[in-house]
Amino acid sequence: MTTDAERLTVVTGSSVTRRKVISIVSHVLLIGASIVMLYPLLWLMASSFRPENEIFTSGVSVLPSANWSFDSYVRGWNGLRVGFGQLFINSFVISALSVIGNVVACSLAAYAFARLEFAGRRFWFAMMLMTLMLPYQVTLIPQYVLFLNLGWVNTILPLVVPKFLAADAFFIFLMVQFFRGIPKELDEAARMDGAGPWRIYWKIILPLSMPVLATAAIFTFIWTWDDFFGPLIYLSDLRQYTVMLGLRTFTDNTGMSDYGGMFAMSVLSLVPIFVFFLLFQRLLIEGIATTGMKR
Amino acid sequence: MSIRLRRRQFLMGSSALAAAAAFGAGPAWAQGATLRQFFWGGQARADRTYAVNDLFTAANGASVDSSFLAWGDYWPKLATETAGGNAPDIVQMDYRYIVEYAKRNAIAPLDEFVGGALKLDGFDEDQLEGGKVDGQLYGISLGANSVAQLVNLSAFEEAGIEPPNRDTTYDEIREKGEAFKAANIRGGIRIIADGSGSEPMLDNWLRQKGLALYTAEGTLGFDADAAVEWFTLWQGLRNDGICVTAEDQALDTNGPLETTMVVMGKAAMMPSNSNQLVAFRTLMTDNLTITNYPRIAPGVGGGHYRKPSMFFSVGGSSANKELAAEYLSFFVNDLEAAKVLGVERGIPCIDKTREAVAPDLGEADQIALEFVANLGDLLGPLPPPPPAAAGEIDASLLRVLSQEVAFGARTPEDAGQYFVSEATAILQRAS
Amino acid sequence: MASPSFWSGVWQNHAPGYLFLLPWLIGFLGLTIGPILTSFYLSFTHFDLLTAPRWAGIDNYMRMFTNDPKFAASMRVTFVFVVFSVPLKLAFALGVALLLNRGMKGLPLYRALFYLPSLLGASVAIAILWRQMFAGNGLVNQLLANFGIQGPSWISNPNTSLWTLIILAVWQFGSPMIIFLAGLRQIPQDMYEAASLDGASKWRQFWKITLPMLTPVVFFNAIIQTIEAFKSFTPAFIISGGTGGPINSTLFYTLYLYNEAFGFFRMGYASALAWVLLAIVALFTAFSFLTSKYWVHYDD
Repeated sequence: MTTDAERLTVVTGSSVTRRKVISIVSHVLLIGASIVMLYPLLWLMASSFRPENEIFTSGVSVLPSANWSFDSYVRGWNGLRVGFGQLFINSFVISALSVIGNVVACSLAAYAFARLEFAGRRFWFAMMLMTLMLPYQVTLIPQYVLFLNLGWVNTILPLVVPKFLAADAFFIFLMVQFFRGIPKELDEAARMDGAGPWRIYWKIILPLSMPVLATAAIFTFIWTWDDFFGPLIYLSDLRQYTVMLGLRTFTDNTGMSDYGGMFAMSVLSLVPIFVFFLLFQRLLIEGIATTGMKR
Repeated sequence: MSIRLRRRQFLMGSSALAAAAAFGAGPAWAQGATLRQFFWGGQARADRTYAVNDLFTAANGASVDSSFLAWGDYWPKLATETAGGNAPDIVQMDYRYIVEYAKRNAIAPLDEFVGGALKLDGFDEDQLEGGKVDGQLYGISLGANSVAQLVNLSAFEEAGIEPPNRDTTYDEIREKGEAFKAANIRGGIRIIADGSGSEPMLDNWLRQKGLALYTAEGTLGFDADAAVEWFTLWQGLRNDGICVTAEDQALDTNGPLETTMVVMGKAAMMPSNSNQLVAFRTLMTDNLTITNYPRIAPGVGGGHYRKPSMFFSVGGSSANKELAAEYLSFFVNDLEAAKVLGVERGIPCIDKTREAVAPDLGEADQIALEFVANLGDLLGPLPPPPPAAAGEIDASLLRVLSQEVAFGARTPEDAGQYFVSEATAILQRAS
Repeated sequence: MASPSFWSGVWQNHAPGYLFLLPWLIGFLGLTIGPILTSFYLSFTHFDLLTAPRWAGIDNYMRMFTNDPKFAASMRVTFVFVVFSVPLKLAFALGVALLLNRGMKGLPLYRALFYLPSLLGASVAIAILWRQMFAGNGLVNQLLANFGIQGPSWISNPNTSLWTLIILAVWQFGSPMIIFLAGLRQIPQDMYEAASLDGASKWRQFWKITLPMLTPVVFFNAIIQTIEAFKSFTPAFIISGGTGGPINSTLFYTLYLYNEAFGFFRMGYASALAWVLLAIVALFTAFSFLTSKYWVHYDD
């Protein structure tokens, strides 16, 4: 007959092993998956160091070539009359402005949809969702004409101003879902203390929404950085081109291409977005400690 | 290399500027005027074009605001700008779209400037004709090229087989293909890519038969029998392992050079253009050259023609048409500019510019130049510009049908019939 | 006669909402609604981009439903893509997010790694790599050969090409994963603590706390990923070179639309195609919202 103490050791002993096994298995899976995720980046980097005439004859190898050099990086950086440095600055400006615009404007709109009552709320919410569903290819021409009439073509205004006007319905919807997850009792408590909607927004909702705001910032930055279609249509001056747009001029189907340069600049263009991601992902970690809350 | 070129040419441009200033050249009213230019191409073409623009500014006074994009991005942007009424003054135009743009007045007729602002003395007649729509001149050819087979000489050497020459026929391709199969090198490389979906190859084949892709009236220039024969020919080559397999050919997405059969190592030759040899050479370590498309029988020629590789046109709503015409004139006539441009856009269309360019050409460019200049009996008359729906027939119909036959989803007989009936319907719908 | 206090009541009740909504309203009414209505108008015209639109009545819609095999093909391709890529992507995103949420060592690194594919995006470089991997003698087939499996040329065979795009989409599960992570992190820790004190197992805590509190985020990700999948364009565009091939097997709906608009100068028809897509997606979204009250748990 086993004593309680013995039974306890048996129980805890096996659960410890079980936890260890789960931990090892999940680590193995994670490492395996990481290789799958990392592989394309390694291939990209390896190709950027290869001479042009070996890129396509090396298949999927990630091993560096015997003739490896920085040539592609030099060529790529000096490409496009203005030099790639200018393109990086352009991309950064547009992306940074978009982040600010999106986070501010979308959180305002999301707060209205999630927390405030007003006539026509459901109607406007449906309209907001509708803007998500239409493919951009068809509003392109009318939008171009609109911006042309405003005199905004050939500037970054068509790319940035819509962000300050919460045109990215994706983030409004995202924030609505998150705001609705914040307990309404917090609002009530603040209201009883005499706080108006702005104070509640500023003091309660926003601070508790760091994860979603960080998410919005990260996604906005990366998606704006990676967007080439907007800059393609609205920017004509080479000096205004963004990195992604510039990359597309490296490969031309009708004549000479510079694949090495393209790979090299693609690798470089990953740096800012990766850095941005690492900086902001800290905010994703912060959880919410609502101590003293009764349910 | 291109950077060095730009600097050298810029220095030449500055000396031209000094000379111009000394002689007070350039009309006074042109000072301060700006032309907007838009073209497709890569870095190499951009460097050369900007250098020429500098030379033009030095000679004329007007400046040129230029931007460029890759081929695939160029057309949507140009269409968007035109739709918005914001088209540039100088646009690069292609044989495929010139009829579409001309008929809709998106580009301007240039006849009124010929002889005045636009000097075309000594311009090749056929290149001039190529830029005409309904008898009016809408585009100035920037260079001629011709279709050509890209040949991987290293692969032929390795297989121990004679590479094709000017007289090679489709039957000889088949014989050599058998030998290639037997040699079994490089993982089973075939002698030739599957050309059944290649519009230029079909065009060339039809012309040798005395037919044509399209007539001057914009209808189909061949019938279902010819179409069936075409698909059957390639079906035979495919089934016997002479040309690449269906799956391999489908890797070619009709655009990026890195997806083509020779670069991917699946074939030792494939349909291409004469001015692309230099681009392919940078992508491969193998020894590449160009030759003509196969003859349908010994001694039969007339398939090739000297195609305008691209044009410059003037925007239909441009406010500076005469100045733009002056730019075009400078671009094709000025010898300094010609030396900068080389044959990157094609073989120059005026004799004296050809002579000016010839000594400085690299080896690949020399091969391309000699090929186009010495077509001999392979050369046939220039076909009329293709009808507006030709692009759709090529992309949606010919390519898809060739893939369906290759993958066994359709018989060649069925494909041939369907091709003719559907193409006719498309042409009617578009007119 | 309404008293002043009535109007001030109205103002007090509705003004805050509209004030907060103002930036979006300005953008919507000023920049968005005009082009949307114009595109609706264009769907009833023949518009070749180079000349003014010509009225065509319902011609475009007639052609779409009676005389266009490519419309049906592209619908089929898009539906298959949505049906397979969205659930798979969400499953990976949620699974990995749960795994990473356990606060293990190296969490930030793993999180960045799993987000990497989304950072790389659908670029020309990735297209080249995908072709190398999934072609006849590519990496995938080399690996399969070790198990004695002779694979087809996945990316260039019409029967399998769509799957390479599905895999590409699923591989980029980083975005929904980040959103799931943010959602998981927003669940108050003291709820778990209280539950542990009450003796609830980890599994019970998952079912009773995690999942219910996560449902708003699950709902969001499901809707968004579905809408994005219907609108998916760039991967098919770049990998097929804009052809939608081989044999239209990767002709996504928006790629077809794009070709009609810019390749064949039929912007009117493309607009009609877009509105049909909008109608389908709107129906799906409306249905999702209506049924969401049965499973999505909001706190308000």
